[in-house]
Amino acid sequence: MDEIQRRAFMKGAAIGAIAFSVGGAEVMLTPRQAHAQNVPLRTLTPEQAATLGAMGEALVPGAKDAGVVNFVDQQLSIPAEQALLEARIMNVRPPYANFYRAALGAIEAASQTKFSKAFTALTPAEQHDFIDLMRQNKLDAWKGPGSPFVYFLLRTDAVDVVYGTMDGYAHLGVPYQPHIAPTQSW
Amino acid sequence: MANEKVDVVIVGAGASGSVYAAVLAKAGKKVVLLESGPDWQLGDLISSDFWGRRIKPAGPPFLLEGKNPYGYVYQSGWGVGGAALHYFANFPRLMPNDFKVKSTYGKGLDWPIDYADIAPYWDKVADDVGVSGDAKAEEIWRPAGKPYPMPPMKTFPGGDAWKKGFEAVGLRLTPAAVGINSTEYKGRPACIYDGWCHVGCPIGALSNPLVTYLGDARKAGAEVRAHATVTRVLTSADGKRVTGVEYFDAKKEKQVQEASIVVLAAWSAQNPRLMLNSATDKHPNGLANASGLLGKYLTAHFSSGTSAMFDEDLQPYMGTIAAQYFSYDLYDKNAHKDKGAFGSTFMVAGSAQRYSALGGVANARVDLFGAELAAFMKRAARGYTRIGAFGEEMPAIDNRVELAGDKDEFGMPLGKITHGFNDDAVALFNANFDKGLEIAKATGAKEVWSNKGAMPTIHLMGGTIMGHNANDSVTDSYGTTHEIPNLWIAGPGIFPTSGAPNPTYTIFALSLRGAENLAKNWGAFAG
Repeated sequence: MDEIQRRAFMKGAAIGAIAFSVGGAEVMLTPRQAHAQNVPLRTLTPEQAATLGAMGEALVPGAKDAGVVNFVDQQLSIPAEQALLEARIMNVRPPYANFYRAALGAIEAASQTKFSKAFTALTPAEQHDFIDLMRQNKLDAWKGPGSPFVYFLLRTDAVDVVYGTMDGYAHLGVPYQPHIAPTQSW
Repeated sequence: MANEKVDVVIVGAGASGSVYAAVLAKAGKKVVLLESGPDWQLGDLISSDFWGRRIKPAGPPFLLEGKNPYGYVYQSGWGVGGAALHYFANFPRLMPNDFKVKSTYGKGLDWPIDYADIAPYWDKVADDVGVSGDAKAEEIWRPAGKPYPMPPMKTFPGGDAWKKGFEAVGLRLTPAAVGINSTEYKGRPACIYDGWCHVGCPIGALSNPLVTYLGDARKAGAEVRAHATVTRVLTSADGKRVTGVEYFDAKKEKQVQEASIVVLAAWSAQNPRLMLNSATDKHPNGLANASGLLGKYLTAHFSSGTSAMFDEDLQPYMGTIAAQYFSYDLYDKNAHKDKGAFGSTFMVAGSAQRYSALGGVANARVDLFGAELAAFMKRAARGYTRIGAFGEEMPAIDNRVELAGDKDEFGMPLGKITHGFNDDAVALFNANFDKGLEIAKATGAKEVWSNKGAMPTIHLMGGTIMGHNANDSVTDSYGTTHEIPNLWIAGPGIFPTSGAPNPTYTIFALSLRGAENLAKNWGAFAG
C-alpha cells in the first residue's frame, strides 16, 4: 500500500468530537464549538468555570476560545474510564471532579488572600505573578492539592485544547499526519 | 457461575500473556485469556493525544507512597494489548553485565540465568514480530547473534543532529533496534513515520500484540474475554495446586474459570496483588510466598532528558516515538563511579516530537506559561530535539506492593505501591544530566538545557522475582512458582534486576522461553 492508501484505509472509523447537551439533546461538538455556542455546563459552577477560563487563558493564550472550560466540564461529567483528561495519566484518583473543585477553590482562596480579589479580577501582571508563585509552590495561603501539580495539570488542559488539536498543529505550521484522523479537528 | 475447564487460563492479554497464549494455543491447548479492560481494535487507535489516553488504565487505582511514588498510569496497559498497545517499541536488550550484579559488585541481585540463556529468544522474537536495526553494529557492545529481519529505520534531522555531539564526547551511536517495520514484513506494511506510535499504531507497522502474538493466538483458537476482572487464584484443598481463577465478568457477575495451568500476566504490581489476595490457610501470606518476597524488590527506570534548540528545520515531527539511534557506551555499572553513581545507562536519540500531552514539546519547558510559552512553541515547532539517558536502580526490598485497607468495587483490597530511589540511583540521574549537557553543547545547537524535574519512575519490574529456590525468590527462570508447579508468572515482574533498557523486548523473550518450556514439558506441570 502507498502512504495515502495507508492513511485512508481507516477513514470512517474515526471519532473525535465529544457529546455536549444543547437544548436537551446530545450533540457532537469540539470544545471550541461548545464555547462559541455557549453550551450549558454540566459539572462546574459558574464561579469555578470563570476561574478555570481565566487561569487557562493566562497559562496558554487562546485556551479560553479553544474551549478549555467546556472540555474540562464535559470530561468531568462522564465515567472515569472514558475520560481523556491528563489527570487520568497523572494518577489522580477518580472522580476527577473532586480534584478540579479542590484546585479551583484553592486558586480562588489564595487569590483573595494575596490580592483581596478574585483571580478573574486580577490584572494580567497580577495573574502572571500569582501563577509564577503557584508553579514554584510559593503561595503562602495555598490550601489544596499541591500548587505545582495544579499548575501542571491545568496548564496541560490548556495546552491540549490549543496545541493538541489539528488546528493547533496547523497554527504551529507542522503537519498533523494522522493514521486515523480525529473528526472535527481534535 | 462455573465455566468449562480449560487447559490454560491467562490473566492479562498484554505482551507476556499474548506470547503464552500464542505458543500454547498453537500447541493444541485450550486457552482462555481474561483481560480486565476493553477488547480494543485497530480502528480504536486514533492519532490524537486526547484519544490516546483512552487506552491507559482506568480500573481500580493503586495507592502510591514512598520517597519517589511510582507514577504508573502513563506507561501501563488496560485492555487487550496491554501497555504494548501504546509502547514506543524500542527493542534494546539487556547486556551480559546485567545478570550477575550481586556476585560481581556486591550490590543488587543475581539472575539465575545468563545472557546466553535469553539470547536465542531475542532472536526468535525478532523473527516473530519483526525488528528493524543493525545487529552487526551492536556487536561493539554485545555477543553476536542473528541479524535482524529488517534493515534500520529511516533517520531524520531530529536524530542526526545529535551525531556530532556524541562523537565529540567519545560516545558511539548505532541505529536503534525497534519493533517497527522498516519494510513490509509478514503481510504488515512498512512504517510511514507519522510519529503517532504512542497512541497506538492502527496500520500494524508497529508490532503491538494485536498484530503479532495475540493475533496468532486467536487464529489458533485462543478465547479472549474482555472486561473480565480476576480477583482470586483458586487452590486445591491441600494447597499444592491451583485449580483456576475467580473473576467478575462484563456484567459484574462472579464467574469461576477452572484450568490445569494458571498464568498470571497482569503486570508487576497486579500479579502480587492477586497472589496476596488469594491467601488460604495453606498459604497464609499469599500464594507462593514462602520466601516472604512476594511483592518485594520492585524496580523502576528513570530518565535524564536533555533538550536542544536549533535554528535549522529539524522536522522534529517526523519519525517514530521510538529512538533513531541508541548507545550502550555508558552501560558499565561503574561508568559514573567518579560521581558516586552505580548502575547502567542506556541512551537514546531522535524520537519524533508531539506538541501536547505528557511527553510533548510544551513540557520541554514546563516553567513557561503565557506569552513566553506561545513564543517557545513557535520556535520549537521546527527546531526542537532531545535525547534521553535511561538509568537503572538496584533492587531494594522496601520497594514493594502490598494490600491496602481500601477495597475496589468487587471487594478486593486495593494495591499499594511504595517506592523510593536510593543514593546510587539519584547520583546516576544527576550524572546523566551532566553528560547530556556535554553532548548537547557539542552539537552546535543554539540553545541547550536539562529537562530536570522530579525524578521520574519509568517501567515497573520485579515484585515476583526469579531465583534459585523458594528461599530466595518467587519463581524459577521460566516463571514457574517454586511452590505451586501449575502457577506461572509472566512479564517484567520476574526480573530480579532491571538493567537500563526498555524492558518489553526482554518480556517477549522471557515469555517465549517460559511458554515453550511449558508446552514442551506440559505433563510435568499440568499433572
